[in-house]
Amino acid sequence: MSADKVVVTALGLIGVAWVNWYFFIAGRASRRR
Amino acid sequence: MRVHLGHDGNVAHHPANAGTLVSMAETMSASTETCTIPVTGMTCAACSGRVQRSLEQATGVASAHVNLMTGAATVAYDPAATSPQRLVETIRSTGYGAELSRDDASAESLLDVQDEARVVETRALRRKFSVSAVVAVLAMMVGMAHPIAGEGTRYLMLALSVPVVGWAGRHFYVRAWVAFRHHGADMNTLIAVGTGTAFVYSATITLFDDWFARRGVEPHVYFEAVAWIIALVLLGNLLEAGAKGRTSGAIRRLIGLRPATARVAQDDREAEIPLSALRPGDVVIVRPGETIAADGVIVDGSSYVDESMLTGEPIPVPKLAGDPVIGATLNRNGAFRFRVLRTGADTVLSRIIRLVQQAQGSKAPIQRLADRISAVFVPVVLSIAIITFVLWYDFGPEPAYLHALVSAVTVLIIACPCAMGLAVPTAVMVSTGRGAELGVLIKGGEPLERSQAIDTVVFDKTGTITEGHPAVRGIELTPGGREKEFDVLALAGNLERLSEHPLAEAIVAEADRRGAPREPVSGFESRTGAGVVGQVGSRTVAVGNARLLRDLGVDVGALANRADTLAAEGFTVVYVAVDARLAAIIAVADPIKPASRQAIEQLHRLGLHTVMLSGDDPRTVESVAREVGIAHVLAGVAPDRKLEEIRRLQQSGRTVAMVGDGLNDAPALAQSDVGIAMGTGTDVAMDAGAITLMRGDPLGVLTALTLARRTMRVIRQNLFWAFIYNVIGIPIAAGALYPALGLRLTPTMAAAAMAVSSVSVISNSLRLRRFNPRGQA
Repeated sequence: MSADKVVVTALGLIGVAWVNWYFFIAGRASRRR
Repeated sequence: MRVHLGHDGNVAHHPANAGTLVSMAETMSASTETCTIPVTGMTCAACSGRVQRSLEQATGVASAHVNLMTGAATVAYDPAATSPQRLVETIRSTGYGAELSRDDASAESLLDVQDEARVVETRALRRKFSVSAVVAVLAMMVGMAHPIAGEGTRYLMLALSVPVVGWAGRHFYVRAWVAFRHHGADMNTLIAVGTGTAFVYSATITLFDDWFARRGVEPHVYFEAVAWIIALVLLGNLLEAGAKGRTSGAIRRLIGLRPATARVAQDDREAEIPLSALRPGDVVIVRPGETIAADGVIVDGSSYVDESMLTGEPIPVPKLAGDPVIGATLNRNGAFRFRVLRTGADTVLSRIIRLVQQAQGSKAPIQRLADRISAVFVPVVLSIAIITFVLWYDFGPEPAYLHALVSAVTVLIIACPCAMGLAVPTAVMVSTGRGAELGVLIKGGEPLERSQAIDTVVFDKTGTITEGHPAVRGIELTPGGREKEFDVLALAGNLERLSEHPLAEAIVAEADRRGAPREPVSGFESRTGAGVVGQVGSRTVAVGNARLLRDLGVDVGALANRADTLAAEGFTVVYVAVDARLAAIIAVADPIKPASRQAIEQLHRLGLHTVMLSGDDPRTVESVAREVGIAHVLAGVAPDRKLEEIRRLQQSGRTVAMVGDGLNDAPALAQSDVGIAMGTGTDVAMDAGAITLMRGDPLGVLTALTLARRTMRVIRQNLFWAFIYNVIGIPIAAGALYPALGLRLTPTMAAAAMAVSSVSVISNSLRLRRFNPRGQA
């Protein structure tokens, strides 16, 4: 696997993790506040 | 204190409960202040929820309630910590429009501001939709001409779609951003991300086509997809705005009940002052036929007051010094002066107006389900889009990043839940429109949804099952008496002509119908709660109940048994004495509406349980119930207890529809799962009810319930069709079929699929136009 693919894959996984964290976990916390 | 105007039901509206009405208004005075602010631009429960949350989090706010349908925020706030102007700014910071009504106290001015805002909003939406639709068609044509017309067309399409994205669809991006800042995601987010990505990508390719061409990227643009998506979503918003616009008529009628001026006693003079200048403590003079200006207590004088506009009670209520009077009710025959207790926003009428405004804004719970699904749906789709990009980039053919980008954009576009946005509002609109044609006014989605689950229908008696106007049904003469039936009726009719009692009206109407001659009456005396006495020509006549005659020393024994029998059959018995001897008894009853029996029968056939709930005498109620075929009878229930009876039925696991006509039914209508008001009753009952039957025909109950069942079926089908496109479309757009079949979607195909799903949803909703109450359940 080339370096750019590794970078894109890593960024993508971070992106997915961030989206789910932002909307679900952080979102729930902010609504409870 | 917190002023709750919802379905708490402690609102008694019967004349017997004028005191309760008064105390109800007293609870309005509060240490915190309440204001209502019109909010514009809200399209879904997520919108109103966001505005409400932002208000609740603002400093100095005790409670906030944002009503989507009426577009109004009701806020209880501490005047020391914040101000209405600050609250307006809080709302504006969420991306929605807000404006302070000119006068907080006046429901009318609020209504004007709301109407104005709604008209402006609808006009703006229509303009935006037209522009986007025209651009979408043009862009599509230009796109098709592209191979012939050459490179310049891309610039043309870019120029065309800039106003669509920057102006027509701007609010989607603003609201998506606001939602995003609050960790929220809704329909706006999907639209914004989908169209935004497609637009930015297309614009980049157009502006830097040389750079892309050198790297072997085919310069494909998706401007028409962007315009189509925005146009379709705007169409959905426009349909919803139209549905919301029709809610203020009933409130305007209520406001119209108030007189413009009041005649106030000042020292020894009278002065006509505008209602807005009236203050608590003023003494107002009311002449016969005048509308009472405000709530208060009678100081001197007496009269009968027609409170039917507020209570639905057709009988004018006797009022003496010390009795409370309610603003907007109509003084009949007497004159009196009353001391004002409450004016403006504190009056019972204003409170009722506010209750109605609150009640109108509810939204179909199934719509909330759609909103809740999109809250989960959006992050999931965003995740799929990212994964799609990564997979195409890692494993796709060259140029990998282009395929990756196009596939990710396609996922976002096909996931755009436009059809989901149309699923509920189109069905609700078509079915409420069809209902109106059939004489059934349904206040939005929530009543529709609740109606389908109804298993018990509770009927009020007077005015609902019966006509509501008593009529003479028979006259029984004293055996061996001297008078003939016609003479007795003529004498009684002449005397009763001077009375205000509804039973008197029935007797007068019967005398007139039979052509009884009119004779002068002297020495007329009305004895409250008993009857009337007087001289008709040369005869001394007394008409009233048994107690009146006994008080006058008249023996009623001759007809006592007969009177008991008639009473047991549900008649009200009126005694007539002529020259101190019992002449006859007149049986009066409220005739049953012709359609009542059929309506009950058909409801039973649908498997519904029926109940009769009435404040009347059990014997009367039972006889009516027997005649129409209702087995379950709750009689002798005071108006304020009706609500508890409904609650008891609900606690026993029933889903209850209440059918009634008066404001005395209003609490029960509100407590029931679906309140159905007779249109022949009071406007206020119509407002308290979720459904209004314009013709006062009991068969309308059947129409309403079957229409609701059909509508909900259509909504469920719509949601299914809206989702199935996404469920199937997203994996295909992501490229699930590419490895095996080499099949993939382009963003334009995704936009087309989305349009097809919208069209299938709209045409499914339109089927409700052909709804026929006699055909289907």
